[in-house]
Amino acid sequence: MTLSLQLEELKPANSEASAIRSTMEKFKIQTEKLNAWFGNNHVLKDLSINVKENEVTAIIGPSGCGKSTFIRCLNRMHELVPGARSSGAVLLDNANVYARGIDPVTVRRKVGMVFQKPNPFPTMSVYDNVAAGLKLNGVRDHQKLDRAVKWSLERAFLWDEVRTNLDKSGASLSGGQQQRLCIARALAVEPEVILMDEPCSALDPIATAKIEELIASLKSQYTVVIVTHNMQQAARVSDSTAFLYLGQLIEYGGTTQLFENPKEELTERYLTGKFG
Amino acid sequence: MARLMDIGLEKLRNMVLDMAKLSEDTVSTAINAYVQGKDLRDRVYGWSEELRILQDEVSELAIELIARYQPVATDLRFIKSCMEVAYGFSRFGRYAHDISDVEGIFGDLSTCDKTAIVKAGDQAKDMIRVSIKAFTERDIQLASKLKTMDDVVDSAYLEFVKKSARNPGGDLRCTVSATLILRYLERIADHATYVGETVLYIVSGERVARK
Repeated sequence: MTLSLQLEELKPANSEASAIRSTMEKFKIQTEKLNAWFGNNHVLKDLSINVKENEVTAIIGPSGCGKSTFIRCLNRMHELVPGARSSGAVLLDNANVYARGIDPVTVRRKVGMVFQKPNPFPTMSVYDNVAAGLKLNGVRDHQKLDRAVKWSLERAFLWDEVRTNLDKSGASLSGGQQQRLCIARALAVEPEVILMDEPCSALDPIATAKIEELIASLKSQYTVVIVTHNMQQAARVSDSTAFLYLGQLIEYGGTTQLFENPKEELTERYLTGKFG
Repeated sequence: MARLMDIGLEKLRNMVLDMAKLSEDTVSTAINAYVQGKDLRDRVYGWSEELRILQDEVSELAIELIARYQPVATDLRFIKSCMEVAYGFSRFGRYAHDISDVEGIFGDLSTCDKTAIVKAGDQAKDMIRVSIKAFTERDIQLASKLKTMDDVVDSAYLEFVKKSARNPGGDLRCTVSATLILRYLERIADHATYVGETVLYIVSGERVARK
């Protein structure tokens, strides 16, 4: 059963009204009073955010403010950490991904993730890295796999660089290529949302620029949420920006407005480096 | 702990304040010279050129600060406003130069009635002082007075033009020269108003819609 079908069955009674509202406003993800803990450490406090569809949303804030935890809650990766728990709702197309009966693996297929450090499967070729997700999902047709690998690598702006070396180890690529390989791997399983946790922090400026171009191109088909410590990167790539501090949402709005004229004093101080 | 960018911001602020003082002196000198029938064109031209060069220097420093530090929020608004204000001060110099040129174009104007120009000139000089003080102290209330003050200069210009059109007799040299100078003063007052608008932008981020 696909996630959308599962979610269809689990929609709340007022789902019609909320679906109409969501369609009008085109929110892909909505969190409602999202809380998260690591043991007794309360790291996210009542976060309610509406993430617009086909936009890039940046999450910024100082270290330890809960940025990564927030996006890991969006695809239920947070619960994989021993002792971690969460409460509240995460709605994907109006359906709660934490509702009973929802398979987290299916959620993660819909909501893919790219990590800080490129993590291609080291023993696999470029081709197999991209095809791995599809094979896990039972795709065996070689022609279908070939098409999906080419399509994903093209989408990730990597095809031209690896087309003659598809059997080469993924680990042999440069850092920037490895990160784009990971993005291609995420795209191969046809997600709707891509979460990126500081995807450029280990990359040089040229590789960073390529990833940023890629992010800009992806938003026409996907909803992207990116965590970044680099405020200039947030300003360059995102449409909306959320500023978190000590697990709370301090300010959320259009990126231009937030960077030019933040409403909250705390945001102003963080952006201008007058913090602490 | 001071940020690296603060050194540049302070330098930028001082450059704009230097321009403020010079532009105020330049406009006052040009108006007073006209009223008193003195030829101070060379001095006013020299200062207006100095203002133009300072405006370029402000722009260069502003661009350098943007390139080096990628400022945001208040810092970004301040830098952007400094560029706008520096342009305004440079325009003060240019209009002062135009005023000082009038006597050169029309010759001796000592017999002309200069009452309207003295009145509008005093108002324009006041506006420059208020705009500089508002910018220096980031005083929104003071800045908001400029719009009302501008209306006085606008009226002086329009009334003079209408009156001249109704009564075409008299010394044409006096009428045309006074019209030109009132027009320059009206533009100076507009730029002082714009300086006031940038103060609002720096402090609150709000932009005033211009008609």
